[in-house]
Amino acid sequence: MSAIEVQRQLLPILDSPNQGARFYNPELPSSEPFVPGHRTCAGCGPSIQYRMTSKAAGDNTILIGPTGCMYVANSSYLCTPYNVPWAHTQIGSAGSFTAGVAAAYEAMIRKGKWKGAYPNIICEAGDGSASDIGLASISGALYRNHDCLIICYDNEQYANTGIQASSRTPYGGMTTFSPPGPMVPEAKKLYPKDLARMMAAGHPHCYVATASVGYPIDLMNKVRKGLNHKGAAYLMVYTPCQKGFVYETPRSIDLGRLVVECGLYPIWEWDPEKRQYDYSFRPQNMRPVSEYLKLQGRFGHLHTQHIANLQKFANEQWQMMGVELPEALLQAADAKNLVNMAAAEEAVTVAETV
Amino acid sequence: MATVTESKKRTVRINGCVASAQAAKYADVDVITAYPIRPYTATMMALAQMVANGELDAEYIVADSEHSQLSIAHGAASSGARVFTGSSGVGVQFAYELYSPISGSRMPVQMMIADRTLDPPGDFGSEHTDALSTRDMGWLMGWACDAQEAFDNHLMAYRIGEDPRVLLPQMVCQDGFFVSHITSDVELPDPGQVNEFLPPYKHPYPLDPRHPVSHGPQIMPEQGPPLQLERARAMEDSMAVIEEVHDEFANIFGRRYDPWVEEFMTDGADVVFFMQGGHAVTARFAIQHMRDRGVKVGLVRLRTIRPYPTDRVQEVLSKFKVVGVIETNMGLGSVSSGGVLYAEACAALYESQQRPLVVSFMAGMGGEAIVLKEFYWMTEKMTEAQKRGKIEKRTHWVGFEE
Repeated sequence: MSAIEVQRQLLPILDSPNQGARFYNPELPSSEPFVPGHRTCAGCGPSIQYRMTSKAAGDNTILIGPTGCMYVANSSYLCTPYNVPWAHTQIGSAGSFTAGVAAAYEAMIRKGKWKGAYPNIICEAGDGSASDIGLASISGALYRNHDCLIICYDNEQYANTGIQASSRTPYGGMTTFSPPGPMVPEAKKLYPKDLARMMAAGHPHCYVATASVGYPIDLMNKVRKGLNHKGAAYLMVYTPCQKGFVYETPRSIDLGRLVVECGLYPIWEWDPEKRQYDYSFRPQNMRPVSEYLKLQGRFGHLHTQHIANLQKFANEQWQMMGVELPEALLQAADAKNLVNMAAAEEAVTVAETV
Repeated sequence: MATVTESKKRTVRINGCVASAQAAKYADVDVITAYPIRPYTATMMALAQMVANGELDAEYIVADSEHSQLSIAHGAASSGARVFTGSSGVGVQFAYELYSPISGSRMPVQMMIADRTLDPPGDFGSEHTDALSTRDMGWLMGWACDAQEAFDNHLMAYRIGEDPRVLLPQMVCQDGFFVSHITSDVELPDPGQVNEFLPPYKHPYPLDPRHPVSHGPQIMPEQGPPLQLERARAMEDSMAVIEEVHDEFANIFGRRYDPWVEEFMTDGADVVFFMQGGHAVTARFAIQHMRDRGVKVGLVRLRTIRPYPTDRVQEVLSKFKVVGVIETNMGLGSVSSGGVLYAEACAALYESQQRPLVVSFMAGMGGEAIVLKEFYWMTEKMTEAQKRGKIEKRTHWVGFEE
């Protein structure tokens, strides 16, 4: 048996002098593997992410879509927004189906049954798939180190099924499975599963990173780094959902920045060579969590104590990244310095837009 | 007529599990995905060693569950690779979600089943309930009764399932332990014979960046029925292909199987057993013994249960006075309060002008061997029914009655 060597792609990293800044890079790839015309909501964070991700990957790419918004809202029979091969798989099969595609290409190229450079194999799993039902399948794919990129488009809930709580739904987040009421004033009582760190800690040979649609160049570069990494890569991307978060649709990218500026979504990379985290990403500003919360109807019920709890959580995230906290943020972790969300004028305004 | 090269043909003494592994090797599979559960595990152990030895070039993936195993198989087959997987017992059930998506996407994944009783409680013994519970999911399915037949069924199943007129997954089943762990002589063919019989896998619409396709987009309710009808027709159309492939197999390898039912000593028989799998080997012995004593008993062994050979079953079983269905499976609360084979046998016979009496025997349950005296006992029940012109009751739990 004479095995044929598998040729792999190497994608260039986009120039990004200050990744946390607000700027537009005109040198984006022209390729559009994910075209408009699908049925996602206006302002859909996951589909903005999808376009950027597939643009960064280019045309020699295979996309895998476990059940979720990016399955149901994107494709409908005899209509497809994908210019590259795409396959649906079950919601719990994100990592496993992807592993099958990767293994098939390894074997087929090696055995001379398929000729060409190894394709980019990208799985787009929602946070329900990635943090709950498909967690083991993704861990399996990362552990076995198939050459693929698994993306968790994190809209912090099961949105496709009508907004239900997932393991990624934040503390205080209202969903139809975690509604607020006299017995549960804060709605969601549990804090989100620290999924990306779990993946980095458990699979240290993988490239693991977090990103947000608020920073598209950073996102696209992380996609390319993940694809260039020989072996498995995992990327968790903040992708707001206007329907579930209840905000004005033009503000998706704003939220993508605010969530980072408030410290609720730490942006980092895990370097599998050095075996360490890279916390060098810095947003332009640091803000109290209330500035992020007040734009979203899902937090409109929160009391001062709940906001203080979230500020405490955000402060811990900053500290974990080695950031020194300004006095204002330390103050904001004390309930007596805060006002109820329900009393905030902004929350009422936003809630009325729904 | 095929030219048979005898040079590398050899006979080895192996069990059913190893015979299945050998078949996967001869089929030059590209992706293998394993997860341990007794008794089928031995197949994957054998394949792991073949890959480690360099005898077989394949990606060998140890999955994190049976659900993942089948998803990996689905992804790999969707990309154009020939895939081999397998399971037993509750493992078959753990993967249940994937059976319909795989057949619905028309991916000819092959799955080896060494069957096992379902929990509770944990029981290693063989019973056909695991695979039979998936029988309506669009997979071709049938039981082998010995290691040679298992080997042969694997090769034929790939050829049938991958045929562009069929494109359906296949469950190639054998009884746990009675076949999977009992060694017997198996003739391994010359690789040239296999090359002649089994062309390389070529799915018409794989996930290939040079020819982008979308697999499995969401549908509107009215778009569902045409797809389901197509899958149902593929199952029906496979029947002609199955017959064709069995003929060609006989021509190339020299072993001829009836694709649907094996008849054993049915000439002049009044009463027959109707059953699947490895217990048929004991049945043959028991029948020979009873024939020597003048009892007109025979055996009809079902070789393919999906697609169900309705016309053939009707034609064959109508020749007899009494049919005793040996279930080796559980159909709790089913039409006979016994197993699931009874209902289909009766349904196949319904339009017959000469309907035999049909009785169901719950035997071989939990991995118990069906011993000779039980075959004699069941034959007696059938003979009594023949004399009476009426069955005593629909279902007998063998070993629990006088």
